[in-house]
Amino acid sequence: MAKSTRPTRKLDFAEAAALLDSVDVAPTIVNIARAAGDLAEHDPSLVQARARLACLASFTFEPLVSAMTLQGLRARLGIEPYVAPFGQFDRELIDATSGLSAFNPDAVLLAIRLQDVCPALYESFNSLAPADAARLVEDWIGRLRSAVSTFRSRCPAAILIQNYNQPETPALGIADRLSPASQCELVSRVNADLAKLAESVENVRVMDYDGLVARHGRRSWEDRRMALYARIPVAPANYWRLAGFYVRHLRPLFGLSKKVLVLDADNTLWGGVVGDVGLDGIALGQDYPGSAFVALQRRALDLYHRGVILCLASKNEPGSVEEVLQKHPAMVLRMEHFAAMRINWAPKPQNVEEMAAELNLGVDSFVFIDDSPVECDLMRKALPQVATVLLPKEPAEYAAALESLDCFDQWQVSSEDRQRGGLYRAEAKRRELQSSTVDMPTFYRQLQMKVVFSVNQPAHVARAAQMTNRTNQFNMHTIRCSEDDIRGFMDGADADVITLALADRFGDNGIVGLAVVKRSPEEWLLHLFLMSCRVLGRTVEQSFVRWIAGRAAAAKARRLVGCFALTPKNKPFAGFYESCGFVPDSCEGKIQRWTRPLHSADTSLPDWIEMRVDDRAEKA
Amino acid sequence: MPANNSDRFSSVVSAVLGVAADQIDDTLSPDSVDTWDSLNQINLVSALEQEFGVTFVVDDLGRYQSVVRLKALLKDHGVAV
Repeated sequence: MAKSTRPTRKLDFAEAAALLDSVDVAPTIVNIARAAGDLAEHDPSLVQARARLACLASFTFEPLVSAMTLQGLRARLGIEPYVAPFGQFDRELIDATSGLSAFNPDAVLLAIRLQDVCPALYESFNSLAPADAARLVEDWIGRLRSAVSTFRSRCPAAILIQNYNQPETPALGIADRLSPASQCELVSRVNADLAKLAESVENVRVMDYDGLVARHGRRSWEDRRMALYARIPVAPANYWRLAGFYVRHLRPLFGLSKKVLVLDADNTLWGGVVGDVGLDGIALGQDYPGSAFVALQRRALDLYHRGVILCLASKNEPGSVEEVLQKHPAMVLRMEHFAAMRINWAPKPQNVEEMAAELNLGVDSFVFIDDSPVECDLMRKALPQVATVLLPKEPAEYAAALESLDCFDQWQVSSEDRQRGGLYRAEAKRRELQSSTVDMPTFYRQLQMKVVFSVNQPAHVARAAQMTNRTNQFNMHTIRCSEDDIRGFMDGADADVITLALADRFGDNGIVGLAVVKRSPEEWLLHLFLMSCRVLGRTVEQSFVRWIAGRAAAAKARRLVGCFALTPKNKPFAGFYESCGFVPDSCEGKIQRWTRPLHSADTSLPDWIEMRVDDRAEKA
Repeated sequence: MPANNSDRFSSVVSAVLGVAADQIDDTLSPDSVDTWDSLNQINLVSALEQEFGVTFVVDDLGRYQSVVRLKALLKDHGVAV
């Protein structure tokens, strides 16, 4: 037997990231296979979250697995795959003794093509009576619904279902779009039914496979030889894209979406070097090339309005860049849109680290965009955790480059997301206040903080679930929850879901804290406790615990208990319990238990926090 | 980047099967390499198509299961290895 060979040395983070980037540039079978071998063993810090991922397909899925693993690593997700036996998706979902059930997945991909389950719709549509075609589709959706619901009753794993692609050439040719009983119309209808199915079963989401195939071209998406010979309905040249598509939908489920976009200024936000050519000399306006930079700024502003935090890192004199931001008539982005700025001559990695510290966010939630290959190279080497994007040479391609970034995706966009940029900007103003005030209590009083505690408020379910999925740093042990999990706690007789909303003189922060408390007569347990890092260090987090302790004491409990398990990202939480009067208790594996006695403890809130309670704890 | 066709061929087989390039000779086949399964047979012909810019017919995809036979297949498509 010939021996397989793998490198004896593990690649470090920056080398692994560079290898993954090179595969992305040329994702051939050879490059994917070689990188999969080289990264079979990898630097553990490359992976921020792990996913047991079950893939149930109506076609041969195995050729995609290496590409999926690598795309997972690019997103910092360690995928442990399970590929169900070919075409057995129903049985796998329904049967409690199936391989899928034994695998106990975190997420399930349903890669099922309508061509495979209802071939007549694609191959002989015109031979079907319209009523028969409609019945085929109804039967399929019914079959899928019962399989998915049965699985859901047994396993809470997220389910991602791909929707159905339109035919390359419609059955009625040019008349197809006009006929109400046409093939295209029917495929659109099945996709609408699939979306309804996903809405009706908890933690099921649809992936727009039809959009993916259309984006890359229906004609070249498949390799007909491979489709017929090996039941692989995707051309080898598209394996990487399809794998990236699946991972894109997984990423937000595991808290791996990026949060911050750092933009360069010269030759990124505008053409030319403002320090050389001055305010009037830069390219920015209605005509090319200025229009290309306006287009990029519009995209960036649109990202801002969906919750992406914008920062600026520019090698310039601060005055010249600020002048453009304040005075240039064609600027779309203004000072107010940037949560943090570094306009200086220091290395950009250092500036990014400083801004991360300022915003209380990890550098691994940062994306860095620059037109300079040198700056990008430096960032990749110094901070490989930052996703670095080199802009194309042609400014006309800039906006599309920004548009095609999929790392900011979230499954839900909440009103907090839409306001996030403003929230961080307000935070910068708070910091200015802090540096100009004498002592901390004075600073706290000047903030005029108002806190609302809501207990079991159904309207807060979505935001609470989102917080468990987004919050990595100030999080006791990073348990991710679905909306159903949160509802389960709200409905439970011995649990409460408590949210904390915070406003101050600079604005309304919305819901920034979440606790799930499990009550027993003697002991209240903080099952979940997390806060948005944005609001830390203003005594709100301690006040949250004190208020819960006060409730527990009023209910005659003797102690409040919290747990802590160190994760790669939650170091900010360490030391928190101590600051709230907890003492270390027993330790079980990685989980440290902390206890706070309640009999004599002071549970009043500091005078600088005005508090209101919205209590729905009375349960039927 | 491997320069000649022979090196390019070895590089493809090495990457797909995870066999060191210097161990690749004409005797290799699914019988002598445990990673040479039906999935990797498909990966091999797909990778050779990408590397040499050729297109095989369906009948050829599964039939050429050895290094000697894959080289012969390429030769039929005008690529001397």
